[in-house]
Amino acid sequence: MESQRCKGARDLLAEDMERFRQVEDAFRNSCINWGYREIKTPTLEYIHLFTAAGTLTPAMLSRVYSFLDWDGWGGERIVLRPDGTIPAARLYSENFSGSKIARLYYVTNVFAFEETGKENREKWQCGVELLGDGNPTSEAEIIGLALEVLNTLGLAKASLKLSHAGVLKALIAELKLNTEEKADLLDEILEGNWQALSKVNGNKKIAAAVSTLMNLKGRSSGFLVNLAAMPGLSRSIVRELEAFAGVTGLLDTLGYKYEIDFTSIKGFEYYTGLCFKIRANNTKVCSGGRYDNLVGLVGGGNVPACGFALYLDELAAQVRPWSRQKAEKTVIVRVDSAGAESVKEAFKLSAALRSAGLIAELDFRGSQLDARWEISVQEKKPGYTVKDKIKNLQKKAADTNEVVNIIGGFGKVG
Amino acid sequence: MVSGVAQDTRLALPKGVMLSRTAEFLNSIGLGFEDYTSKTRIYRLRSQTMPSLCAKMLNERDIPVQVAIGNYDFGICTSDWLQELQARYPASNVVKVCDLEYDTAGIFLAFSRNASFTEDTLRDSDSTVRIVTQYPALAESAAYKMRLKKFRIFPLWGSAEAYLPENADLAVISAADEAALAAMNLRAVRKIADSSACIIAHREGLQTADFSRILAVFSSAFTGSGKSRVKTPAPSSVIDNDYAPAAANGNIWLALADGHQQVHTAAFLEKAGIKMQGYSKDDMRRRPASNMDGVNIKVIRPQDMPQQVANGNFDLAVTGKDWLLDHLYQFPSSPVVELADLGFGRVRVVAVVGEDVPADSIEGIRELIKSGKLTPLRIASEYVNIADKYLRDRHIARYRVIPTWGATEVYLPEDADMLIENTETGQTLARHRLKIIDTLFESTACLIGNRLSLDSTDKRAKIEKLVKIFRSIAG
Repeated sequence: MESQRCKGARDLLAEDMERFRQVEDAFRNSCINWGYREIKTPTLEYIHLFTAAGTLTPAMLSRVYSFLDWDGWGGERIVLRPDGTIPAARLYSENFSGSKIARLYYVTNVFAFEETGKENREKWQCGVELLGDGNPTSEAEIIGLALEVLNTLGLAKASLKLSHAGVLKALIAELKLNTEEKADLLDEILEGNWQALSKVNGNKKIAAAVSTLMNLKGRSSGFLVNLAAMPGLSRSIVRELEAFAGVTGLLDTLGYKYEIDFTSIKGFEYYTGLCFKIRANNTKVCSGGRYDNLVGLVGGGNVPACGFALYLDELAAQVRPWSRQKAEKTVIVRVDSAGAESVKEAFKLSAALRSAGLIAELDFRGSQLDARWEISVQEKKPGYTVKDKIKNLQKKAADTNEVVNIIGGFGKVG
Repeated sequence: MVSGVAQDTRLALPKGVMLSRTAEFLNSIGLGFEDYTSKTRIYRLRSQTMPSLCAKMLNERDIPVQVAIGNYDFGICTSDWLQELQARYPASNVVKVCDLEYDTAGIFLAFSRNASFTEDTLRDSDSTVRIVTQYPALAESAAYKMRLKKFRIFPLWGSAEAYLPENADLAVISAADEAALAAMNLRAVRKIADSSACIIAHREGLQTADFSRILAVFSSAFTGSGKSRVKTPAPSSVIDNDYAPAAANGNIWLALADGHQQVHTAAFLEKAGIKMQGYSKDDMRRRPASNMDGVNIKVIRPQDMPQQVANGNFDLAVTGKDWLLDHLYQFPSSPVVELADLGFGRVRVVAVVGEDVPADSIEGIRELIKSGKLTPLRIASEYVNIADKYLRDRHIARYRVIPTWGATEVYLPEDADMLIENTETGQTLARHRLKIIDTLFESTACLIGNRLSLDSTDKRAKIEKLVKIFRSIAG
C-alpha cells in the first residue's frame, strides 16, 4: 500500500519513542541538576524574527515553511519554527527585564525543507541557553553540561571541536569589502564553503593569515597564544584570538579535551564568539556557541548569551531502546474467562501490582506478549498462578499480596 | 499525462503579448503553425512541416510550470517566468535549451523616482518594507539577499508600478531597460536578472527521449543570418504613472480596473455622471482625475483589489464578485465588504469537465474518484481559493489545484481533469467540447470597501456619498 504519510515526515514508533525519551530524560535531568528551567516557544512565529542580518542566512531562509495566515491579508508571513535559539532569545527579550541571568532549556521540533524527501523535514533538538552572562565560564559551563548528557547516554568518546566566529568575522572585516561583497562572502562561509575566502582579492597579509588559520589545528590554548603572536595580525583579530584563548584556557583547567579547527563550523550565522560542535560515532550530535548580538536583533537589549542544541534524532539512533528493561518489570495478567468476577479480580490485582512499582498489562485474549511475568486469574480458589518465564518457575497464590510477594521473592525487580 | 500518440512531441506556445513575435520566430526556422495567430479560436495546433509536433497555446506565465510537470516536452516563454519558478522550486524538472533574441528585458528591484530613501536606509530601517511584484519568489530572495529586517511581499497580477510610492516602497518589475523603468516613474536599485524569450524543455524528457530532430530545427535559429530573426519590436504601452504628492491629504482612495474591465467600468462611471480624465483608451493614466470631490483614483488590476482594500491601501474599489470571494475564502476574517452590486460584467463561475467524462455532477465525479478513476483530481483554475474551498466542502479526496493565469479551457482533458472557470454564454466551453457540471455562483461587478474605513468619521461621509451614487445607477 502506498503510504499516506507526508514526504519528509516521520512516524516515531514505540521503540523510537523509547530511545527518544531516554535522550530527553538524560538531558532534562542534567539541565535540572545544573539549575536550568524548562520553556516552550510556539511552533508558529513571524518570519521577520528570522530575517534580520545576523540571524538566518538567505540559504536557510529559502528552506523555511512559510505561509500567509487566515488573517494574513497584510502580507505578514508566518513560519514553522526553523530554529530553536532565535525564538528563545525573543522569549527572553520579552519576559526578562534588564540583562538578568537566565538558564533555560527546551525540547523542540524545528522545520526545514529538504529536497529529496529522504531526510526528515521535521527535526528534534534539546536546547540550552544561558543568557545574561558574558564571562567565559558560561561557555565552559554549557560545554560541561553537554558532555555530561552525552556521558549519561553512554557516549563518552564524543569529540569536541572548537572554532570562533569572532576571529572569522574580524578577518573578513580586515578584507575591506563593500557591504554586498561582505554579505556574499559570509553567506558562502556559513554554507561551509571555505574556498570562497581564498578567492577574495585584497590584502596579502590577511590572505596569509587566513590560510594559516585554515590549515592549522591545535589542541591547547597555547596554540591560540602562538597564533595571536604571529606577525601581521591586526589588533582586532588579536583581541578575538585572546578571547578565544580565554575560553580554551578554562577548558584546559577543567580537563575537557578538544581540537581547535577554524573550518569545523558551518552555519554559525548568529554566533559572535566561541562555536563548538561535538561528534559521537562519526555523527554530529551537538553544536553551540556564543551569540552576544541576537537578543538585541530580536528586539531586546544588549545581552550576552550562549547556548547549544543536542540533535535528538541523531542521539536517539545511538542509544539502546528500553524494551528489554521494561519486559523485566512487566506482568501479564491473563484472564481466560470473561466472567465479570474474573475481570474485577484482574483489575484489582493489576492495581496492586502497579502500586508495587510493576507494569501490569491486562490480557483477555491469550496473546503472546513479551514479559517476564505472567499471572493467570482463575475463578476457583486459590485464584492466581504466577509464572516467571525467565527462571521457568510457577507458583499458586491466594490473594494479591501473595502475588506481589512471590514476584519480589523470585527475583529482584530493578 | 501523455496526449494521444506517444511519439508526438508536445510544445507549449505563448498566447498574448509574445504571440506575434514567437510566430515570426517559428516561421523563420520553418516551424510555422497555420493557426498560431491572436485571432485563432483553435488552441490545439499541428505543425505542417513536422507532423509529429503538436502545440497548445497557454498563458506564457503558465508555460514553465506545465513543462516542469511534464505536460509538454518543450515550451517558449520569457525566461523571467522560468526564473520565478526556479526561485520558488529549485528542483523543478525544467531546463532552458537556449535564449532567443527577442522580448529582452531586465527584472529590476526599483524605487519610485519620488522616493526619499536609499538602499542603505531601507536595509537599516526597523519598519516594514513593502514590496509589490508579479515575481514573489524572486522578490523574496532579493529581500533575503539585501538582508531587509522586516518586509512584506504583495504578489500581484500586474501593474506593480502603480503602487509606488504611496502604497509600496519597492517593486520587483520587468522593464526593457532603465529608460523604460524611468518612463514608469521608477528608478533601479539594481538589476536582479536578465530576461528574454527562450526555449525550455522538460528535463526528464530531454534525458530519456530522442528529440534530435526538433532540436536540430531549433539550432538552425543560431546559424546563418542568426541574429534578429524577429524584426517586429515588442510593443511598449506605458501608462502614465505621474505622482502628485499633494493630492492625497484627507481624500479617500478608489481603485478602478485596467485591462478588459476598463471599458465597462468607464461606461458605468459615465452613466453615473462622473466625468473622468485619463481613464479612456486614448488617454490612460495610473492616477486619473475626476469631478468627484475628495476622491483619489488609481488604476490597477481587479484581481489585486480585494487584498489592497483589506490592507488599507484603498478605501473603495470596483472589482468582480469572483475576486472578492476568492479573497474572502483565503482570508475569512478580512475587513473587505461588498457595498454595491453594479450589475455589469455578469458571468457564471462554473465547474467544467470534458464532454467525454461519464459524470454530470460533482457527486458523479466523486463516484468516479471512488472507483479509482481521476485520482488525484487535477483542477485548473485562476480562482485558487474558490476551487480549493469548493472541492474541500464537497469532500473530494484527493485533489490538486493547478493555479493558472487564464486561458484555462485549453487544459482539458490532457493537463487537467476539471476547471473552475467563468463563462458568459457557455459558448467557448462548448466549442472546446467541455460541459458544465455545476454552477458555483453568479458574479457581477461590485463596489467593495473596507469596514474599518467606514469607522473613520473623516472618510465615512465621502464613502457614503459615493456608494449612494453607485447604488442609484446600479439599482
